[in-house]
Amino acid sequence: MITGALVHWCSDALKIFVSPILAFIIGIFFLGLSRKIMARIHWRYGPPLLQPVIDIIKLFSQKGISHGGLFNLGIILSIAGCVVVILFIPFGWMCPLSASGGMLVILYMMLLAPLGMALSGGEAANPNISIGISRKLILSLAYEVPLLLILLAVMTYYNTISVVKIVPEQQNAGWSLFSLPLFLPGIAYILILPAILGKRPFEIVQASQEISSGPMAEYGGGFLALATIQHILNLFIGIALFVNLFLGGGSNPFTFFLKMLAVFVITVFINAVFPRLRIEQAVGYLWRWPTMLALIGLILVMIRCK
Amino acid sequence: MSSLGLLLIIAFSGAFITYFLGKISLKSRDFFAVFISSVCVAIIARLHNSYQKIVYFNFFDLPLTLRLDTLSWFFAIAIATVGALSIIFSLSYIKGRERTSFYYLMMLLTNAAMLGIVLSGDLVSFYVFWEIMSWSAFLLISYNRGPALAAGMKYIIMSVIGSCAMLIAVLSLYAAYGTLTICELVPFAASASSGYILFLLILFFIAFGIKNAVWPFHSWLPPAHSEAPSPFSAVLSGILVRMGMYGFLLVFFTIVGLKVFVGLGKTNFHYVLAWIGAINIVIPTFIAMLQNDSKRLLAWHGVGQGGYMILGVALGSSLGVAGGTFHIINHTSYIALLFLVVGAVEYRTNGIRDLNSLGGLIKKMPVTFIGALVGACGLIGVPLTNGFVSKWLIYKTLILDKHPFLAFAALLGTWGTILSLYKFLHNIFLGQLPEKYKDIKEAPFSMKFPIIIFSGIIILFGILPGIPLRVINAIGTSFGLKSLNVTIWGIASETGTLNTINIFTSLLAVGIIIWLISRFGRKTAAVNQDDNYAAGAYVPKDKYYYTVDFYNPLYRMITPYLRDFADEFYMRLARWGRSLCGKLRRIYTGDIGNYVMYIVLFLALLIAFKLWGRI
Repeated sequence: MITGALVHWCSDALKIFVSPILAFIIGIFFLGLSRKIMARIHWRYGPPLLQPVIDIIKLFSQKGISHGGLFNLGIILSIAGCVVVILFIPFGWMCPLSASGGMLVILYMMLLAPLGMALSGGEAANPNISIGISRKLILSLAYEVPLLLILLAVMTYYNTISVVKIVPEQQNAGWSLFSLPLFLPGIAYILILPAILGKRPFEIVQASQEISSGPMAEYGGGFLALATIQHILNLFIGIALFVNLFLGGGSNPFTFFLKMLAVFVITVFINAVFPRLRIEQAVGYLWRWPTMLALIGLILVMIRCK
Repeated sequence: MSSLGLLLIIAFSGAFITYFLGKISLKSRDFFAVFISSVCVAIIARLHNSYQKIVYFNFFDLPLTLRLDTLSWFFAIAIATVGALSIIFSLSYIKGRERTSFYYLMMLLTNAAMLGIVLSGDLVSFYVFWEIMSWSAFLLISYNRGPALAAGMKYIIMSVIGSCAMLIAVLSLYAAYGTLTICELVPFAASASSGYILFLLILFFIAFGIKNAVWPFHSWLPPAHSEAPSPFSAVLSGILVRMGMYGFLLVFFTIVGLKVFVGLGKTNFHYVLAWIGAINIVIPTFIAMLQNDSKRLLAWHGVGQGGYMILGVALGSSLGVAGGTFHIINHTSYIALLFLVVGAVEYRTNGIRDLNSLGGLIKKMPVTFIGALVGACGLIGVPLTNGFVSKWLIYKTLILDKHPFLAFAALLGTWGTILSLYKFLHNIFLGQLPEKYKDIKEAPFSMKFPIIIFSGIIILFGILPGIPLRVINAIGTSFGLKSLNVTIWGIASETGTLNTINIFTSLLAVGIIIWLISRFGRKTAAVNQDDNYAAGAYVPKDKYYYTVDFYNPLYRMITPYLRDFADEFYMRLARWGRSLCGKLRRIYTGDIGNYVMYIVLFLALLIAFKLWGRI
């Protein structure tokens, strides 16, 4: 009995350590892969797959500048927020903190990452950063409208606020993406996924040709490495949430990884061929098509539940 | 003499003694004001769980009573705490201005009147204290003169309309049942016809809705909050406005009763109320984003957050009422904190509230900034602040009760809040520090103290929400709701648990690990704010901002849709009334001949009337 509890506790503790590290490895692999795929689409050879790892190590060894306490803390808060979200998202059978709050906590913890970056960048007093943050917050408001509708449709359909319960339901009854009322929200999620990941055509926040990398402008050395890590974890969260909610999660981490890979490759293809939108165009698009699809999906779910 | 009566006597007499002490010595007056308000906190804290009811006066055949139960204790402690802290904040804020003794008198009187409202056990005392509160608030709102006079006038006109509605409701209750004691009214609700109950609910909704700034009765609030002295704005937005919520809880759940309220026949009153709450969240929150005056921005959020409370309470489920009630006290703590922060900035920058002309104050006022950050996080509802827990409860009940559209409105409001609150933080504290504020100092201790206490409350209730939730659960069970499974770290249930301690520990641990990792890298060099990367562009000093029109592309898209129709309607009504009166005034020409003609005409009219009457 006691040993059983101990084993249970140990495995929980192990999962808490393993899942963020796994997320980091997958994310960094995706980043390297995306550069490789992009290069091939552009008819280049491209950097080695491990280039992001090399970059991070190099950046840690370089000297950076700091603009003050909040500048340092904000980026840490941002990564910590991402990691905690990862602890809440089931990864195959691994889900260390799922019993502590469910989807609403995920939704709110996802807010710490942009908030931390915004606070950190705000103290740097660089107007390029301020413009970037302003764009980032507008873009999040824009994609949050369809995203909230999508998540509400899913939560209402399964009548739970816990992601862990949604995954086994799909393994019994088939993927939500192919179930009738949730089909439209699923499509809407795919449409807004590039905006969540900050990829083209929604690469408005960084826009290196316009506002010299926006929120990243003042980061150098270790800070830039941390910002890259934050980006990597964010990549993982956006895709993992989709896989869990619409593609039936994964019975084990490996199938989960394969599903994530498939979704990611699609976003890379979109990223490779589309030009960057202006922020008004992005908001207009996100508030029109994905929102409409998600809204119709939510209404269908409501009708079905009645 | 019971302790309830003693409390009110101390509160009211303390206010007047403070005023007269001000004629003798300013120092002793300040000390006495702080002393009196702290004594009130201490007495109420001691009254916890010693619930009682006393008759203090017989007004003709109406016994006037005082009563203390869980609900009134909960509000009383919030009133007393906010009152005491804002008095402490006032010490330096109001120093050196004119009519300071009057200011303290009115502050203490407002507090005493609010205590009177929550402690009164019958509707006559309730009404009397309500009026004392309304009028002393009016005097404080217009304390600064100038535009404050117009703001105060707008407030008092709407407030009087609300009081009239309440008076009609109270009189009709008396005419129908012959008693106004709250506990004696309770049994009547079950037998009353649903039409009469609806009539009462609508009248009380107007009365309390105006005070609570519910859309479409909100339009007095933004000017009143922004023009009042900042410590009073904290009281006003924090708790005085929420007296309307107390009224709602009292009428909906104590007098009318849960079953009648939720099951009110075909009218679906509570469902309409929930939708009003949802509108109340979305529109004001987005209007707040457009504001350039820091206090006006917060004031609009005061309206917006009221929507969450109404939404929670209107659903009438255990989780919803708990969330709505919890949100009241959370709102009190963070909005009061934010108004005090603005007050501190105003104090140091000689009254600058314009968000476009501040910036970079984090380096000069770090404690104030931390207060602003914690308050903003609470208002947004970032996990580990109290605002998160109450919103979590409201969302959860909305989703599980199958109201996804209401939940959507509530969640969307949160994102609007993030945008406007980040603008608030960025434009005051982050970004470039203008040259003229180079020598600014941190706020004095009497301002830092309330800021620190409020920040502490926000974080404490965010990490250990069980402390207030136990009291709130007791309130819920006293309304006849099912008891919640409250633990120290949140709520346990089968449909989704909240465990704030797990979130806190994991966030803290991860933060420390990342901090350690970041220490592996090479040491960073600290640079000042002018040392910026601008992609090769020349950086002119003091002209290098991005604050004005912070969300410009978004503003252009949403501004056409964000008109305050209610306010436009009232203003048109007011203009119309004024022009009508102006026309009426023209009959007073000052010419005796004209007046004689009026008299003759009037007599002729009378005679004609008399003749026709005969026929």
